[in-house]
This record gives sequence, C-alpha cells and structure tokens, in this order.
Amino acid sequence: MDKVVNIRINGRHIRARAGQTVMEAAKGVGIDIPSLCHHPAVTPIGACRICVVEIERQRGLQPACTFPVTEGMRVETESPKVVEERRFILGLLFSEGNHYCPFCESSGDCELQALAYRYGLDHWIYQNPGEARPVDGTREHFIMDHNRCILCRRCIRVCSELAANNTLGVKYRGAKTVICADGGVPFGESTCISCGTCLQICPTGALIDRKSAYAGRESQVERTKSVCMFCSVGCGSEIITRAGRVLRVEGEWEEHNNGVLCLKGRFELFKETRKRIETPLIRKDSRMQQVSWEEALDTLAQAFKKSPSKKIGAWTTCRTLNLTLSEFVAVFLGKIGANVGVLELTLARFKLPLGGSLNDLLSADTILVTGADPLSDHPVIGYHIKRACMNGARLVLVSDNNNEMRRFAHKTFSLNEMGKAVKFCQNSASPVVLYGEETPPEQAEKLAALQRKAHFIPLFPESNGFHAKALGLRANFAPSQMEAVYLLLEDTSLSDEKIKQAREAKFLAVHASYHSPITEVADIVFPALLWYEHEGSLYNLEGKKVAVRKAVSLPEGLIPENEVLTQLAARM
Amino acid sequence: MAKIKIATDWLAACAGCHMSLLDLDERLVQLLDKIEITSSPITDLKYPPREGVTVGILTGTVNNTAHLEVARVMRERCQILVSLGDCSVLGGVPLMRNQVKMEDALRRAYVETESTVDGLIPRSEELAQPIFARPLDQVVKVDVYLPGCPPSADAIHFVIGELLEGRIPVLKDQVLKYD
Repeated sequence: MDKVVNIRINGRHIRARAGQTVMEAAKGVGIDIPSLCHHPAVTPIGACRICVVEIERQRGLQPACTFPVTEGMRVETESPKVVEERRFILGLLFSEGNHYCPFCESSGDCELQALAYRYGLDHWIYQNPGEARPVDGTREHFIMDHNRCILCRRCIRVCSELAANNTLGVKYRGAKTVICADGGVPFGESTCISCGTCLQICPTGALIDRKSAYAGRESQVERTKSVCMFCSVGCGSEIITRAGRVLRVEGEWEEHNNGVLCLKGRFELFKETRKRIETPLIRKDSRMQQVSWEEALDTLAQAFKKSPSKKIGAWTTCRTLNLTLSEFVAVFLGKIGANVGVLELTLARFKLPLGGSLNDLLSADTILVTGADPLSDHPVIGYHIKRACMNGARLVLVSDNNNEMRRFAHKTFSLNEMGKAVKFCQNSASPVVLYGEETPPEQAEKLAALQRKAHFIPLFPESNGFHAKALGLRANFAPSQMEAVYLLLEDTSLSDEKIKQAREAKFLAVHASYHSPITEVADIVFPALLWYEHEGSLYNLEGKKVAVRKAVSLPEGLIPENEVLTQLAARM
Repeated sequence: MAKIKIATDWLAACAGCHMSLLDLDERLVQLLDKIEITSSPITDLKYPPREGVTVGILTGTVNNTAHLEVARVMRERCQILVSLGDCSVLGGVPLMRNQVKMEDALRRAYVETESTVDGLIPRSEELAQPIFARPLDQVVKVDVYLPGCPPSADAIHFVIGELLEGRIPVLKDQVLKYD
C-alpha cells in the first residue's frame, strides 16, 4: 500500500499517493490542469510550462506534470496569476511557427487551439516573424510540417521510450530548434520504422496522416475499440471510421501494446488493392458466375455428400475469429467427419507453457528469443524487447539466419547451441522465453529446463494461432489426396505451392474476401467478411481473449463465415 | 438619441467577413434604428467621413501600400477600431505569401498560373506596391478583436451589441472561433 499524502488543490482536500505528481493527483479527482508536452504514456519533462500552478511556499510557479506531491501542500491551479502566466506562455507558443487554424488539418482537434479557446486568446500577443520552416514529406504514410510544431517532444519520447527506436531528436538551438531524425536526415531516409506512434501522440497538426487528413474531425468520426489482426500479438487498437469508411487505425494506450502499433497494423489496411468478392460464385461452362447463397450452399453440400468423408478435406487460416474456428471444427470434424487443419503453423508440436505477457518482457532481466524474428514478424514484441534491453535486460538470440534482432543481442547462439542459451538464462532471475516455429523440436525440449523460472511467450505466425492450437488444429495441408476440398482463407492469400496442390482436388471450394489466383481455379467461391466487419473475439499470444469489434457495417448480401458454415451443416 | 456612426472597409479580404455582416439579416434592419453605417465597401460611399465615426471596422490583411493608407485613415477617423476576421486579427491566408520571395509570388500569380498566356507583372508606379503581409494591429492600434473565418453573424451581433451598451466585448465560447 502506497503512503497517503494529504494535499489541498483549489482549497479542496485530496488524499494523493506519495510519488504522484500534482498533475496526477489533480486528475485523480477530476481537476483539469491543462497540458501540452505531457502525456500519460511517456515520462513527463516539463518542457512547455502550460501546466504551471501556484504552490504555497514555492518560489515562482511550478509545472504540475513534474512536481511531486508532499504532505500539507497547497496548490492553486486557476488563480489569476496562473491564468496570466498561461496566457503569456500561449502567446509565446503562437509567436513561433505557423499556428494559423483555417488551413490546418488539426483545427478542431488541436490541443494548442483548445487551450487558446480556453484562455480566451482573441489575438496573438507577440507577432509571428513569418519565417517558413520546412515541410518533410519523405515518408510514405505521414508528413511532418515543422511550422505547426511546438517542440513538446512527445514524438521524441514515444520514439525512444515506447517504440524504442531512438530515431527522433532535436537539432539547433533557441528559436531555430527543430525536431529531426538521426541528427538531421530526411525522415524517409532515416532509421524511422513508420510505426506512427509519434503521429498519434502529436498535440498539434505538425504530424499529418496522408490518408485521413481533412477527412473528418473528432466530432464527426466514430471510434471502435478493437484488436489488430495482422499478427498474433493482438494489439489493442481503435478503428476510426466515418460514414462506413475506415479513416485510420490508432493504438490503444491502455492495452498491452501501450498505444504502439507497427507499420503493418497502422497502415497496411489502406494499401489493399485486391478486388473484393461480393457474391457466391460457381464455375459454369468454365466461367465463374454469380449465384444465390442457396444455390451455392446446395452445390457445396451435394459435392460433400458425393464424397466419402475420408476424402473430404477442410483447411482454414488461423487469421479468423473464435466463433468461426469453433464452427469450422464442429461442422467439418464433428458433423462431416472430414480431415481438418490449418494453413499456417500453430506451434502445435511445442509442449511448453503458455501465458507469458508483454508486461513480463518489460520486467525481465534476460530475454531468450528462439526460432523467430520478432522485429519483422511481431514488431510490437520486437519494440518491447528493445525497450527491455534499453532498461538493462539482456537479449539471448538463438537463430541461424540473418535475424533483425541480432544487433540488439547480448549473446547469439545457433539453433543447435540451445543448451548454452538455456544455461545462460538459468543464471538470471526473471527470464522470458519467446519461441517461434523455426526452433527444431529436439532443441525446443531443452527449453523445458526453464519451465519453473521463465515466462513463455509463443510467437504464433497468425493472429488466432493460440485458439487454433487449443482446438488441436494442425498444419496438415494435403488437398491433392482429397476429392472435395474447402479452404477458408479470409483475406489471406495462398502460396503458389499450396495453390498447385489444391488444384489437384476434384472439387475445390474457396471462402475468401478477395479475388486471387486460387479463386480463379476454384469450382465454387464464397465471399468472406473482413476482420473489422466482424463482431467476435480471438485469443492473442498471451492467451487472453480479446474482443474484435465491428467497425463498419456489413456489405450488403454478405453473411458471416460462421453462419455460412452453420447453414452448410444444416444441409448435410 | 443620435445614431452611433459606424464605418467599415476591407483590406486584403475575400469579402467573407462582410457577407457574414449581411448574414445579420433582419437583425441588421433592427440595428439600423441605433446605428448609421456611413460607408462600406458594399455601399455607394466607400470612405469614412472626415468628421469621424464612433466605430470603425476593418477586415482583411495589410498586404500593400494602399492598405497602409486605408488603415491609417480609418484609425484617424474612428474612436474604436474593430479588427474583424482572421485575416485582420491574425494575418490570415495572405500571410502564406510571406513564406516565399515577393518576386516569386508575383511571377507565380501573373505569369506562371496555368490559365495565363503571355503574362506580365504590373509595375506601374500608380499601383499600390505589395508589402510583407501582416495583421492590422502591426500597423495601427486596435481596440477590439474578433477572429473567425469568417466570424459568425451571431458573433458580429454580439460585438456591436456590447459596443452599443458601452462595453468592450469579451469573447468566449461560440463567439470565439479561429476558423
């Protein structure tokens, strides 16, 4: 139990926790102290001074975001002296750069503008010298307009503290100070990984998202709390939509990813160019023709009835939700008795504990990564590992290939040196083990020695690999020996090798969101929803059940995959 | 009681602020019981009378030498000068021109625009010369500010109403807008 400290804010008695800042204590009881450079996700630095408050027996005003509470402290947050000082600070902020609202993308959602309204600034106290600063548009997904920047350094802090990438900093001094990447190269040529966390945390219009700029203010858009489905980390995200169109995706600050998403999670959605499948299609006279759901389901049921159940094969991607996966197993294994499996690996052969969390990573002193490359395949895990390393944890990498994590590793072993890696971890106090599919089974067994000490995080290749594994599904793809084959692809695509195998089946049904080479050779095609059109859940790699929410309404004429499977079962 | 005299004029403006003034609609007719608009860009008489007015209202950015003159005359002939609209208060869209060299701006506008054939930059000495664009209060003393692009008719009504009551208006909530 933390020690309680009694303070008074604006005459009101407050029981704060020792170690809290004045800002935190005030926020806890609903007293709003304005802030610009401060954000709860990063370390306070007291740079902008807009949160200054009057504290009894303190010389001058003090920044609330960095000032710790002490017993008997008396604070005034909106006294005339404080308000005068804040108006003065706003005047200084507006005197540099270009903070002219009518042609700014952030007008209406800008934290600086909101404060000018709050303190009734009807004109600029000090005139802007009007010198233009550069605009950097060298990154693919977002633009940096230095004219809008107030140098709050939130971007620098998320870059180093959360994404652990240390790309951003400042150069020059005084009024010439600007945010820069790698000491002063264009952002697009820097070490920036375009995770977009800086874009999300910018309080003004200095960082602009190319896709969603000018597409809607906060008051005009809807936010749906959901989960990113691009990998098994299952980052908490918010999908921002307007009139049924996805504008952008933001990371959820309160979830295990701490607001951070990766390039894929934040921007991949908007690079989609494949053509959507809109109705069921059946091959007639060697051409794919649109048919009704009834006809398509009847045809599929007929094809399955004609084949002996041993000659029916059904495979699904792990990039699907719990309800669909369960229904898939219930229909094809339970009702039809077919061969079932998944299209991606599910770490099925590993008999290691589950349930390690991203938080365990941050408190680990040693991190063992084996048979996986988190920075390219599970980037947010990669960022967490880098964060932990910056705070003193040691990374032990067990890998045979050119792993992105290699340059952060304290020690690197080849896969057949697992014994040495395990020994290294045994000497540490709180190790975390992350294992991926490239770990050979005989080497993975050696990890069992760490069972009592370490937390284990399985790095499933696809988003709902955890549930697929729990359902006993394996990557046993063998369609060539089947008479009738059903493939549930969702929005994934199939490798050329797998397509070649699938073509050998006598009858091929494909359930997918987009047209692709496999749908061209199928006998029957069913349209599938996209993940953000579903209402459902999945298990992330921590083994936690998380809700995937419907952010846009269902396209007309589409039926969720699990209902399609239920209707198929009714026909069998 | 004699009517309060108000004069208004524009500098580098898009006319949006004066459109907003006209958006007062029937309230403008009611106001005319108490005020007299001596001159405005949208009436026959353009210049504030020599004998002076109580309230002068200027919209637009100070953008060339003629604007300097208009601002100076208005300041001399009114008791209370109202800076109306974002261009006048903060500098507005014309301020973007400051970010390029004057010659580049002129060449772009008169020669390089896609719709121009055989363009020529006007150089006659009789014309006003462009200057570094700036808000009104950089040139003359301003008494009342009303930002907005444009300020709403309600905001203009509020400001005139407060001045008629003998108060300097304090802007807040819906009356205070920057865009």
